[in-house]
Amino acid sequence: MSRYLLGRLGQAAVAIFLALTAVFFLVRITGDPVILFLPLDVQPKDIAQFRHLLGFDRPVWTQYVEFLGRAARGDFGASLRYRAPALGLVLRRLPVTAELAAVSLAVVASVAVPVGILSARYRGTVVDHLGITLTAAGQAVPGFWLGLMLIWVFGVWLRWLPVAGFGGWTHFVLPTLTLTAFYAAQIARITRSAVLDALGQDYVRTARAKGMREIGVLVRHVLKNAAIPIVTVFGLNAGQLLGGAVVTETIFAWPGMGAYILNALLGRDFPVVMVGVFCTSVIYVTMNLAVDLAYLWIDPRVRYA
Amino acid sequence: MRRLVAFALGLVLAVALSSGVRAQPKSQITIGIGSEPLTLMGSTIVDWTTNAQIENVYDLLFTRDPKDEKIIPWLATGYRVLDDRTWEFTLRQGVRFHDGERFTADAVKFTLEYIIDPKNKTHYLTRFKPVDRVDIVNDYTVRVHTSEPMPVLLSYLSLPGPFILAPEYVRKVGIDYASAHPVGTGAYKFKEWVRGERLVLERNPNYWAGAPKIQTVGFQVIPEFSARLAALLSGQIDVMKDVPPQAVDTVNRSGRAQVRSTVSSRINYLAFETLHPGPMQNVKVRQAMTYAVNVDELIKTVLGGQATRICGYVSRFDSGYDASIKCVGYDPGKAAQLLTEAGFDPKKLTLTLDTPSGRYPLDKEVSEAIAAQLGKLGMTVHVQVNEWRSHLDKIINRKAGDMFFLGWGPDLEPSGTVGQLFVGSLTYSSFGDPRIEEMIHKASVTVEPKANAAAFRKVQEALVPLAPWVPLWQQHDLYGVANWIAWRPRPDEKVWMWEAAPK
Repeated sequence: MSRYLLGRLGQAAVAIFLALTAVFFLVRITGDPVILFLPLDVQPKDIAQFRHLLGFDRPVWTQYVEFLGRAARGDFGASLRYRAPALGLVLRRLPVTAELAAVSLAVVASVAVPVGILSARYRGTVVDHLGITLTAAGQAVPGFWLGLMLIWVFGVWLRWLPVAGFGGWTHFVLPTLTLTAFYAAQIARITRSAVLDALGQDYVRTARAKGMREIGVLVRHVLKNAAIPIVTVFGLNAGQLLGGAVVTETIFAWPGMGAYILNALLGRDFPVVMVGVFCTSVIYVTMNLAVDLAYLWIDPRVRYA
Repeated sequence: MRRLVAFALGLVLAVALSSGVRAQPKSQITIGIGSEPLTLMGSTIVDWTTNAQIENVYDLLFTRDPKDEKIIPWLATGYRVLDDRTWEFTLRQGVRFHDGERFTADAVKFTLEYIIDPKNKTHYLTRFKPVDRVDIVNDYTVRVHTSEPMPVLLSYLSLPGPFILAPEYVRKVGIDYASAHPVGTGAYKFKEWVRGERLVLERNPNYWAGAPKIQTVGFQVIPEFSARLAALLSGQIDVMKDVPPQAVDTVNRSGRAQVRSTVSSRINYLAFETLHPGPMQNVKVRQAMTYAVNVDELIKTVLGGQATRICGYVSRFDSGYDASIKCVGYDPGKAAQLLTEAGFDPKKLTLTLDTPSGRYPLDKEVSEAIAAQLGKLGMTVHVQVNEWRSHLDKIINRKAGDMFFLGWGPDLEPSGTVGQLFVGSLTYSSFGDPRIEEMIHKASVTVEPKANAAAFRKVQEALVPLAPWVPLWQQHDLYGVANWIAWRPRPDEKVWMWEAAPK
């Protein structure tokens, strides 16, 4: 088992390294970062001087090697826009994104899975039709529109909830609703089809024949067998949410990581972009590993060498 | 079931009564802003968002009269030009920084040396490069020596911003700490900065120009403009800049806020790209275009009247404004004739117009309308909408199409506008001509302000027949302001809360 974990860690390191390398070169194709920081009345020779001060006039390979060397020591350089260490600036925002992600994932799990199970169990009835319609709507409605509609209804018209910003629990309500609409719909549909699959199996008929209560059948037998696809998609969604739901964070002025990295990319703040790539790669790789380890717990037949 | 309903009602009630949507206590103004400041250290970063926030904490040596943008003394009480490379400034006495230290010539020397030191990588380095040396004559007199004539020095000292830094404080705590805990001489003292969320400032009761009337000023970061608008309407913020013209009615009918507009010193224009091969290198084609664009119609139909036309190359607040330049009237017949004289058949002409989207009021819509107007002559104009930074890139690398839409401002003195935009080798220029460049160079080294302005007026008069642009207008800045606040927006885009008071 520990050999397996070691192997996975090695793979993770390679994946992160490749992501950093690819982005390092790709992002320099977007253009010169230096002019974006200087006043509009700057002279061309002053641009050259600034480029030299920031080290962008060196050959790309030299910059790359220096970047790798420093990154290995945890030094990603200073943000070009904010003058503060890039790593600190991004990590400071991680807990903010993580809180929203955690709350959203909790709501998704507690709403979507039961809806999916009920839809499957009462397939073909009103319950199922309602479930399918809601999930279709949830996936079809654009998050941007939903977020703004919620702001207008609950923030401006009814004035029940704050419109933007990070704060007490009232600030979580609207962004969470916006995020969960899509992800809950997705999980509910996956749950429904996985549970439908499981419900048709022999062990379900056996369990019911034994006189087991329906709720016991659904949770102890059906859910556990249907769990693998649900957990897989859930893990992917968790990775996405932890990487920062950019649109939601922007609309609700949520000071999280996703919007921050996007702005850094648009503003060609290369050090922050590299930190962002590093953090999101680590998150994804970790979620993948967590999902694979969860398989071990769910399905005793799964073995890793 | 009853318990469920009771619980639900209780939840709804709790939410409705909870904090977060109560209107702010009347002694606090909250300004909704699109992004956070990049640093709280003055004199470091050129960025409207940063300066709009920190200029409440710091002061400049000179400032601008909000009515006509003339330069007025502020921390400095006066100036003398000793020779064309030496300026002498006399300073105000009895001013103290927020940490108690006295404001003296040392602070001015410290600030200017901070700016010109390459180690600090300030964005003002390029502007103040000609500054060679700063000498302290006495506590309240300072001399600035420049390596070449620098007539714009006075103007630069009156615009955000070489904000005057507190030398003892910065020497004691270091630049990094001072960049997050600023100390200045300004109307507001630093209270709190939560990165990405808000900046909170509190009243400086000992402000030398008179204590401000608003107790606390908060800047709240709300990147998305419709969320900002919603926040204004719900009372979560009190001021927002750049209300889109379509939303003006909504704000005015809300009962909470009104749209207050001001004629801005920022100009918008359509430039003809002459720095790469193309039809625009032919002067008759350019002249034809100026007759083919109906600027008054654009202002009326696209902008709903929210723009003030310019006929020359600078705003009315610019010291080089030339009232004698007359607007080119709309004359499609003349345009067609000029094109024929130039040897072009409009029906065979295909042009590209580059535009940003959302950077200036209705920039994309205006560009599309211009394309339609030009299309009436039979030519085909493709409108290429660019992301803002790509737009700048194209212009800088001379890869823009035949024409591009751009804005420039705050435009308060001509060397920053005419002097920058009509010299072919300079960054955002689209036009070069040896005779014009010679005139600009002569004007740029004329230190005496009146002579300087007159020289730049001559440049503009020489530019008119060369038709490098279709000059469009000074945009109107639309601010959403809560009804309880008495504050007039300024043409130079400063959001200076010392000028605000409860009604």
